[in-house]
Amino acid sequence: MENNISAFSQLPMLIFIAWRNLWRNPVRSILTISALASGLIMVILYASLLEGMTRQMVRFATEISTSHIQVHRQAFIDDQDLYATLPWSYMKKIEQNFPTIEIAPRLYAAGLASSKNTSTGVLIKAVNPKREMAVTKMLEHVRHGKLDLGIADTTENGFARYNLVIGAQLAKNMNVKPGDELVLVTQAADGSIGNALYRVAAVLKPLEPNFDRMGVLMSIEAYQQLMYLDNGFHELAIKVNDMTQMDNIQTAIMEMLNKLSTSQPLDELGGKPVVRNWRQLNPAVADLLEMSKAFVFIIGFIIISLASLGMLNTMLMAVHERTHEFGILLAIGMKRRWLLLMVLFESFFLSLVSALVGSVIGLIINNYFEEHGIDFSQSMPDGYDWAGMVFEPVMKGYLVPIDLVYACLLMIVVTMLASLIPSWQTIRLKPAEVMR
Amino acid sequence: MKQIKASKINELHDKPGRKFYSKFFLFIPLFFISFSGFAIEVNELIQHIDKLWRGETSQATMTMTVKTRRYERSMTLEAWSRGKDYSLIVIRKPIKDKGIATLKVKENIWNYLPKINRVTKVPSSMMSGSWMGSHFSNDDLVKESTFEDDYRSSITFEGKRDGVNIYEITSMPKLNAAVVWGKVVMQIDQKTLSPRIALYYDEEGVLIRTMTFDQPQKIGKLTVPMRLSLQPEDKPEESTVIIYKGIELDIPLSSSFFSLQNLQKRR
Repeated sequence: MENNISAFSQLPMLIFIAWRNLWRNPVRSILTISALASGLIMVILYASLLEGMTRQMVRFATEISTSHIQVHRQAFIDDQDLYATLPWSYMKKIEQNFPTIEIAPRLYAAGLASSKNTSTGVLIKAVNPKREMAVTKMLEHVRHGKLDLGIADTTENGFARYNLVIGAQLAKNMNVKPGDELVLVTQAADGSIGNALYRVAAVLKPLEPNFDRMGVLMSIEAYQQLMYLDNGFHELAIKVNDMTQMDNIQTAIMEMLNKLSTSQPLDELGGKPVVRNWRQLNPAVADLLEMSKAFVFIIGFIIISLASLGMLNTMLMAVHERTHEFGILLAIGMKRRWLLLMVLFESFFLSLVSALVGSVIGLIINNYFEEHGIDFSQSMPDGYDWAGMVFEPVMKGYLVPIDLVYACLLMIVVTMLASLIPSWQTIRLKPAEVMR
Repeated sequence: MKQIKASKINELHDKPGRKFYSKFFLFIPLFFISFSGFAIEVNELIQHIDKLWRGETSQATMTMTVKTRRYERSMTLEAWSRGKDYSLIVIRKPIKDKGIATLKVKENIWNYLPKINRVTKVPSSMMSGSWMGSHFSNDDLVKESTFEDDYRSSITFEGKRDGVNIYEITSMPKLNAAVVWGKVVMQIDQKTLSPRIALYYDEEGVLIRTMTFDQPQKIGKLTVPMRLSLQPEDKPEESTVIIYKGIELDIPLSSSFFSLQNLQKRR
């Protein structure tokens, strides 16, 4: 008991000696500190870039076109059945019952687009521009031209010519630019040939590979005139105000739709209404987000462990060259556990200084990444696609403060574990042998 | 026996050249039987079927009724053809689709759409797509031209079926031919030489669709079924039925009639 008390009273003294010991060989200590600090900087930047990427991913997964929740009919999910629509009255009901959410109806169809020189198969997507703007940023991603889905003019035989917005790759493949004319031919809902002239108003930036390659965007009015399909919509995109309420709203909408389909039955062929959130719509992204946290930890652990080997080497050296000194200390009555504690303190100071230096430099570099990012736009002007989504060519970091704390803690814990080996050696010293 | 039937086909078609041959054949009937076997007769039969609705040249009006589980629509069509390579089809009714026309020249298809006053060529990617919302595909129009080149046909059955004497012709695709069907089986009435039913199988030998021919009518010397019903096997409630209202065969039509200009003018 008495020994323990005296050990604690000796603590400031031990800490002081440990600190001084560290600077007996300043070059070696600084080299060790820089190795550990670089490891920490790498972990910080890795965490920051990965977080930035996942944030961009979630943003793209929800803001650009998917939104938070979507409602479809089962047959539309299965094979894009043109007739699997939900009636407009359903949309009104959802709007009335959920005043806090924003909703945007969408319609789809396959068709053939022809410009002056080429024709190609396209995916027609119809939206209500005003509602769409409130739910997603799809319509803001204009690369060329001016966004407009209204009527451009009338043809010589008196039909309205609507404006269209098309995908980036499609515009490139068809060699079409804003102001050009596009012909759409498709099979309308009544079996007849739907056909009309359109004017390309704008070309969108890359959103998702499918849309870029074959997407044609028009207003719902234009769609209804082309497709003779006006009894409903294929997809309802929903944006919730508070993301934490998403799951509750999803179940509430599902319940409401179930009630509605008993009071206003749907046709048999289209299947049941299905409500899915963005995680269910983009399972690849959702899984990746779950995994990225584990990634940071594993990669960080590897980097820090490697850097700790440097520290281990330093401490082994430091202990080894002082065995004679330790022998004397033990001989004149210093407790072995004090020696152990002193060596541990030396390691602790090494890692603490490294943590400070690493955090400061890491924060400075991270600051640059957050502002400027890593720019790939020279080699990939359209960004890159991954898991069915297009990313901006600029990779920006985003550091969550708690991640910095975790990284430092991780480093200190790993280095302390590594320092147990040299400390253990001091305990096993035999004063008589080492002093000889 | 076989020899007589072959000459019967020739007589029906009233071709001076063939007549000469058939007379020529009468002089050496034994020779012919020993050498020719079925081969010629199969070709003659197939050519006969081809000519039924088309002759060398033809003009026909017909109604096409498409029934699907989602919609039912009826159209009145006018069609011209010359050989197997040229055809022009124009929709006359309903008013909404009036003037929509399809031109086929060999393996190309163009559609004319009066509403937008544009001619669009059907790209190869859309060939398997439905033609005018029916159960026929654009490929059905095109592959007709190359059927004889792509398939090897033989008579696989001769005798009574459902109380009628028939020939059964089975057509199998030739090696390396780009075809849609793995097997086509057609039954032909021995007496009138008009087809009764055609069965289309895929490569695995699964029946995909059935075409039935009925309401036969005498046109000149030929017996022509005036109603063609196409029934996809996977959708028993759906069908496309073509009823010929009138056919004129071997009218003067040059191949220049089947031009892109005429595609727009004929509406």
